[in-house]
Amino acid sequence: MHELSMADAIVKTAIDVAEKNDAQEITEVTIEVGKLAMLNPEQLKFMIEVLSEDTLLEKAEVVINEIPIEIKCRSCNFEGLAISDDSDHYVPIVTCPECEGRDIEITKGRECNVKTIKIEKEDEDA
Amino acid sequence: MHKIAEVEIQHDIMVANKKLAKRNQKIFDNAGVFAVDFLGAIGSGKTSLIEALIEKMDYKIGVIAGDVISRFDAGRIEKHDVPVVGLNTGKECHLDAHLVEHALHDLPLDDMELLFIENVGNLICPVDFDLGSHIRMVVISVSEGDDTAEKHPLIFKDADIVVINKVDIAEAVGADENKMVNDVLELNPDAIVIKSSLKTGEGLDEIIQSIQKFMDEA
Ligand SMILES: Nc1nc2c(ncn2[C@@H]2O[C@H](COP(=O)(O)OP(=O)(O)O)[C@@H](O)[C@H]2O)c(=O)[nH]1
Ligand SMILES: [Mg+2]
Ligand SMILES: [Zn+2]
Ligand SMILES: [Zn+2]
Ligand SMILES: [Zn+2]
Ligand SMILES: [Zn+2]
Repeated sequence: MHELSMADAIVKTAIDVAEKNDAQEITEVTIEVGKLAMLNPEQLKFMIEVLSEDTLLEKAEVVINEIPIEIKCRSCNFEGLAISDDSDHYVPIVTCPECEGRDIEITKGRECNVKTIKIEKEDEDA
Repeated sequence: MHKIAEVEIQHDIMVANKKLAKRNQKIFDNAGVFAVDFLGAIGSGKTSLIEALIEKMDYKIGVIAGDVISRFDAGRIEKHDVPVVGLNTGKECHLDAHLVEHALHDLPLDDMELLFIENVGNLICPVDFDLGSHIRMVVISVSEGDDTAEKHPLIFKDADIVVINKVDIAEAVGADENKMVNDVLELNPDAIVIKSSLKTGEGLDEIIQSIQKFMDEA
């Protein structure tokens, strides 16, 4: 849905950090995307690749790790992985695996985190 | 010789937005402005509700009207003689805290007591993007079908007030407004859920009292 603006923010973040680290190029960027972040990983990857053209990120491998949904149940106090049923709609319906309640707090699964980059730089000892 | 280094970044775009949102809230607090974010599908009645509130509430109000392309909503609100900033989001499906911060420069915050922010008509994308508002109001309507809450659970989780609008036409469209109320309460038992019709005025006083309650607590 908003892969383009997210990809833009990701690309800017990666390049900014790479420049601060005197990188000549970025070889890999790893991103964590929550299953509830409403971002399609394939689409996100494509957008990042498009926006990377002519930048330090151009040749980088884009690795996207999906983060599963974790919850805290307000009814039975369960904490852990949620059941998410996205067979029906594109917004998963999240329920507690213990009591099937829906009054839950989502503790993980909404992130869009630029985790690491691998960069190539001039070896100072050389 | 080249060497490869791994650099830890850990920069969450969502967290970055939340930080900007906190900064916006400080700006509101310093100006003594209470901010309300209005979310809901296109056509659920967000602009109509904002117009009705402007007419009925005895506060100095300003509005940010988020819209994908047009300035249509901003134009409707201007007619009520309150300061309004239209935010065109282009292709974007949601407002974010940074866009709102820009809009704040064009509002007379020091001469305002209430700020209404109409988000882009969308039940999904705006959910994760805090804007810095003090409360979040979700406006849905019976004409979207009485399974709306079931289908879009996340938007109700962080809602403070949920308005089930257009109850005047519930029967005509074959929707059960009480089912919608129950669905919302199942997802978020703390939400204040109000049935309304902006055609008949039903529920409007209750909406105003609820906003007032949150203002008193702030
Ligand atoms: N029957 C009925 N129509 C309404 C009600 N509230 C809004 N409308 C109409 O619904 C349409 C969309 O309203 P609008 O406020 O523009 O929705 P927005 O897209 O959420 O801002 C307009 O034609 C309104 O007149 C209501 O309570 N009952
Ligand atoms: Mg509108
Ligand atoms: Zn979107
Ligand atoms: Zn439970
Ligand atoms: Zn969006
Ligand atoms: Zn800016």
